[in-house]
Amino acid sequence: MKPLDRKLVRDLWRLKFQMMAIALLIACGVSVAVMSFSAQRALAQAQAAFYEDTRFADVFAQAKRAPLSRLRELARIEGVTATDGRILEAGLMDVPGLARPAMARLISLPDDEGRALNRIRLSRGRMPDPRRTDEAVALKTFMDAAGVRLGDRLTAVVQGRAFTFTVVGAVLSPEYVYVPAPESFMPDDAHQAVLWAPRPAVERAAGMSGAFNAVALKLAPGASTAAVLADVDRILAPYGGRAAYAREDQASHAFLAAELKELSTSASILPPIFLIIAAALVHLTVSRLVDAEREQIGLLKAFGYRDGEAARPYLRMAIAIGLVGAVAGGLVGGALAAAIVDQYRDYFRFPVLAVRFHWLAFGGASAVAVAATVAGSVAAVRRAAGLSPAVAMQPLRPATYRAGLLDRLVRGAAIDQATRVIVRNLERFPVRSLLATLGLAAGLTLLVGTQFLFDSLDKVVDQAYYRTQRWSEAIGFAEPRSIASLSEASRLPGVLAAEPVRTVAARLQANGREELTRIVGLEPDAIFDRPLDARDRRVPFKGRGLVVSEALADRLGLEAGDEVRVEVIDGRAPATVLPVTGLARDYSGFAAYMDRRRLNALMGEGDLISGAHLQLAADRRAAFYRAVERTPQVVGASSRDETVASWRQAMAEAFRVTVSFYVGFAGAIAFGVAYNTSRIALSERARDLATLRVLGFGEGECAYILAGELAVLALVAIPLGVFGGQALAHGLVAAYSRDEVRLPAVISARSYGISLLAYLVAVTVAGALVARRIWGFDLVAVLKTRD
Amino acid sequence: MTDAALSVRELGKVYSTSAGDVHALRGVDLEIVNGETLVLLGPSGSGKSTLLNILGGLDRATSGSARFQDRELTRASDVELTRYRRTSVGFIFQFFNLVPSLTARENVALITEIASNPMTPEEALARVGLADRFDHFPAQLSGGQQQRVAVARAIAKRPQLLFCDEPTGSLDSESGVQVLEAISEVARDVGTTTMIVSHNADIAGMADRVIRFRDGRITDIERNVAKLAPRDMTW
Repeated sequence: MKPLDRKLVRDLWRLKFQMMAIALLIACGVSVAVMSFSAQRALAQAQAAFYEDTRFADVFAQAKRAPLSRLRELARIEGVTATDGRILEAGLMDVPGLARPAMARLISLPDDEGRALNRIRLSRGRMPDPRRTDEAVALKTFMDAAGVRLGDRLTAVVQGRAFTFTVVGAVLSPEYVYVPAPESFMPDDAHQAVLWAPRPAVERAAGMSGAFNAVALKLAPGASTAAVLADVDRILAPYGGRAAYAREDQASHAFLAAELKELSTSASILPPIFLIIAAALVHLTVSRLVDAEREQIGLLKAFGYRDGEAARPYLRMAIAIGLVGAVAGGLVGGALAAAIVDQYRDYFRFPVLAVRFHWLAFGGASAVAVAATVAGSVAAVRRAAGLSPAVAMQPLRPATYRAGLLDRLVRGAAIDQATRVIVRNLERFPVRSLLATLGLAAGLTLLVGTQFLFDSLDKVVDQAYYRTQRWSEAIGFAEPRSIASLSEASRLPGVLAAEPVRTVAARLQANGREELTRIVGLEPDAIFDRPLDARDRRVPFKGRGLVVSEALADRLGLEAGDEVRVEVIDGRAPATVLPVTGLARDYSGFAAYMDRRRLNALMGEGDLISGAHLQLAADRRAAFYRAVERTPQVVGASSRDETVASWRQAMAEAFRVTVSFYVGFAGAIAFGVAYNTSRIALSERARDLATLRVLGFGEGECAYILAGELAVLALVAIPLGVFGGQALAHGLVAAYSRDEVRLPAVISARSYGISLLAYLVAVTVAGALVARRIWGFDLVAVLKTRD
Repeated sequence: MTDAALSVRELGKVYSTSAGDVHALRGVDLEIVNGETLVLLGPSGSGKSTLLNILGGLDRATSGSARFQDRELTRASDVELTRYRRTSVGFIFQFFNLVPSLTARENVALITEIASNPMTPEEALARVGLADRFDHFPAQLSGGQQQRVAVARAIAKRPQLLFCDEPTGSLDSESGVQVLEAISEVARDVGTTTMIVSHNADIAGMADRVIRFRDGRITDIERNVAKLAPRDMTW
């Protein structure tokens, strides 16, 4: 080993904690990139393989009842390569062990598996005997969550008819990789039963033969989806067709796509933050080292080393830091990817979901990391190369200080000399002070900007389930029913109050844009569900005007006072133009609200309701649900408390891991910056501080000078970090919001508190680790050393 | 003896190194009288700096006793030694050791702030002939001027003891003379007991007594019948 290499190794060892602090930041950045890309590829590959294997459709549509002969017409649409018509009926199903009945979707199995779309894959057991009408397979997620086993006998009530069957197999389906509950956007697997049975059995249960009510279509590459959708709607319109939709709008697929997008977002937002801070720290650390070693550099040059040779160790040091961080980041990132994919297995049911280390992401992130550390060292390396041997070997004059702006500010104040030293040091190195402040602020930014996720979700729940919707249970009918059904609902056991609701699917068009949504018809004085504005005031209905959710209005470019074209999909109402009379603030889904009676008038139907919002006596829930199961027209029942509870649990699980990462990362930034800043300050001031010790200053008084500098930087960084956190929260909201949930950028006092506490702990620990070196000063040596 | 500022008995100091024990001091006996100026001479490693460090409260003896008034320095705790340095001792270093971010006045104020009966920084600086340099930073001062600021800093708290370790070691002779003049004048005015460690035998003339060291022992103590002013010494 050459002497200069040996020097490099020893310097790295001597500065190991400083180097490790920087490498830690690089490791964070590289690990996020490796994790995100590995997990994203795992999901994308699993998705692609599953879709391919099961022939997942491109277009989906439902109707009330269409003759099987229409399938041929659908198959003739230009661009359509395959069609698959099924019967899909919804109902309720009592599951032993569940307090509330599960929602059951009963789907007919294809007659010809070879030509089927959206095929299911058997995970356990066997497929039903096609000749039998009392066997079915069930979605594996439902069976796992509800504790249903092969051989269990269950009864689903569909269209008022009981369908009793034996569960003979557990299956996975590309349509139900992720199963959101209808009233929520989080999975509630135990209450979401999807069942497949041979067509004769389903025909009998649904009272529908020679017909289908759900169709899936496969398109040729390059086919126009919009044109196909229009044709499908046209063909199915006479049969009660509802708007056809593309794969992008299919619930399971949309959720998966959003998750993939989030992983890309993580991979693009976070690593640059870490690497920029790491580069700044490399700059500070290597610059200090070059200053401290200028005599050695001069000596090397005096001995005949060329400029490049004398400066190269500093460049190599920067590269070494980058490489160490990158390798550590690769290891951690691989483990994180495995952990997060493990978590995905709870949500996304693929036959195979395997994670492999993403070498390309690792290589790319490592290259960027090393480039960042090299960039950080460039100024110092150039200075080392440019030092002339003569200058380098002259003793360093005392660093030049002058009274600066801060000084003039504090001149009048009676401050002690130790404090004056702090002020002057901060002023003497403005770039370093600025970089350190920005680095510390970045740590706090990441804390505040990610802690808010919990607040945001709280706000979503609060707004959705406690302010806008205030029912305790909601029931839905298979078909719209007369208002008389409301009094029947009121008579169900435990019902204290009931309000009607009429929901229709509709296409809203404005400004050349179109959105598929639902119009919710409510009573003008409803108290269980009412649109609210941004300040939580009820938005009143005016005539036949629509109250549109802000997010939907945003998509369509609508404002209050505009007009919107409405094409109702359920039923046969003609297209019409309605005024927008108000905007509602909500955080999940897209909806438009109007006066229920006006909606019914628009539909040209009588006084109909499609469901009811109820307030239930808490102690009568069991009796209520027993009665609901025996009420054939009810096909959906939701409980607010259960929905919120399961939602909170799912969110807590999903975010605990993510937010722990973020807290760790943010702590690493704050710690790394604070530690390096303090170490540099200590190396520069060790002699001054030791002199003060000789002159009679106590350790604590010296620590004050050292830590005071860090404390000032850390305090200045707090407002910056808080503002940065708010900005990051807004950025994350924009990046992470989905159709199902739009996160509001709210940050609670508690989140600020937790963030500040974590920040102060990280900074204090780093400062204390450095300051404790004052207790080990060699006072005799200082008398003999030149700076 | 009531007049003794420092009293040293059988003082020994052993450094343990991987190459074996190094005896820096081997049983030193010395009485130092109040107001006395001593110059300690000897080659490198002879023990003079080790004695200065122990008497200055920077290092601990391995054996023997070193008393300041009624305090035993060899058994003092770190806190007690810090208090001793803070209240009773002034230091002057070879390389000045000024805080570069403080002006001359502020460097002195650094010490007067923690002393109980100090002179003002301005007075201390005036005594060393720097009345016109109060607001200069160390980088704006010559080596001799920096060392005189260090002298002002050392004597501003009116210490009973003043320890100078090679105070002229990094100065040219003219500057060195000015610094020694400052030391001897303020030591006389304040009544400080002064110990100067040096390689330079030419400054022995300003001492009341000259102590010579070799191999950790005092080899010779010489009393000057007539002290010289620094201006009258040559080197």
